[in-house]
Amino acid sequence: MTRNGRIRVAVDAMGGDYAPEEIVKGAVLAARKGDVEIFLVGTANVLEKELAKHKFAANGSSIHIVGASEFIKENESPVDVIRRKPNCSVAVAAKMVKSGEADALFSAGSSGAAAISAIQFIGMVDGVYRPALVGSLGSFAPNTVMVDLGANVDCKPYQFLAFAIAGSVYAKKFLNISDPKIALLSTGSEESKGNDAVREAYALLKNSGLNFVGNIEGSDILNGKANVIVCDGFVGNVILKFYESIGSHAQVWIEGKLSKYPPVRVLVRLLFRRLFPATKISGETEKQGGGILWGVDGVVKIAHGASRAPQIAIAIESAKEAVKAGVVESLKSELTKFNQGGKL
Amino acid sequence: MTVEEQVREIIARITRVDKSIITRESTFKEIKADSLDVVQALVAVEETFGIEIPDEEAQKFQNFGDFVSYVENRVAQKEKV
Repeated sequence: MTRNGRIRVAVDAMGGDYAPEEIVKGAVLAARKGDVEIFLVGTANVLEKELAKHKFAANGSSIHIVGASEFIKENESPVDVIRRKPNCSVAVAAKMVKSGEADALFSAGSSGAAAISAIQFIGMVDGVYRPALVGSLGSFAPNTVMVDLGANVDCKPYQFLAFAIAGSVYAKKFLNISDPKIALLSTGSEESKGNDAVREAYALLKNSGLNFVGNIEGSDILNGKANVIVCDGFVGNVILKFYESIGSHAQVWIEGKLSKYPPVRVLVRLLFRRLFPATKISGETEKQGGGILWGVDGVVKIAHGASRAPQIAIAIESAKEAVKAGVVESLKSELTKFNQGGKL
Repeated sequence: MTVEEQVREIIARITRVDKSIITRESTFKEIKADSLDVVQALVAVEETFGIEIPDEEAQKFQNFGDFVSYVENRVAQKEKV
């Protein structure tokens, strides 16, 4: 799994709004901590020049360069990774995970391209159709995670069951909840509520053997009724972005109301600066430098395209921690129970 | 196993639908296959039969039957060679 006791991370050095400069800089920051081996995948001569700026020798002990002749540009379809550009940087990085040359993949480039590379070149664990993004709800609901946060816009009913299992592993592993309560997000608590996929998923979850507590509504998201809230990526992503925006909108609204009282307004501004992170879904934001694609048969970490070097370094560190924590093995172990019962 | 049966199995495995619901008239939309499913199916079929399916040809497939007919022709051409 590791070489010289260090976790090996294949980094898509060409992916991201500020690639390759900030990616290389972030990799150097992570490498200087000394317990990770980084493979920068991309255009070799460009990466060598970038590394030289940081007085870091290419192919030294902790950073290596792996050549990839192509990369996925912003306006290209992620699906192009498979047929048109199978040797692009993110695909090469994924193949390194598959072959065992790396323990994890990190990309700040197109999330779709990273997900497709992971599906095609690393593969999914048995019983999982597509990767999902899991995130904890942070301060307002510290014991609650949501899944999927945007990786799957259209979902088939059995995907909800895989999401529930992934969320359950996340809650056990990172929130220390021994038997997480799982709920399906719908338009009402009754079994008959929701669209076709949600209604079919209800039946699957009810008979899954998981600690399924039924449907919850949007108003229940933050009240702790569930530790794992399951929804499709369309709903999850809308909620994620709405949730993250609440703090700043509330601040503007309250400051407007207090416009006649400048000293109080300043206090409110300071207060909101402290409170604002409370509305960030922690698993997927700057704190961890991105999110893990759950369900892939290897650790795949993705980050916002706009990430700068400090976030890149955190994400690489976090990918390393996910390998150490054995998240893929834990998910596989949980899924095996369901596969044996023919439920997935 | 015929070419049609093999292609049907590949598509059923990738899209996770029961192969019995895939008829020659079935469209990708009807079997709820998205663009990634379709591309994965194309790659898997190319690898299985050792053929190439250009994108411009793949875009002409209206249904499963069109896909199978194209693969059958290419496999027959390959065998002649």
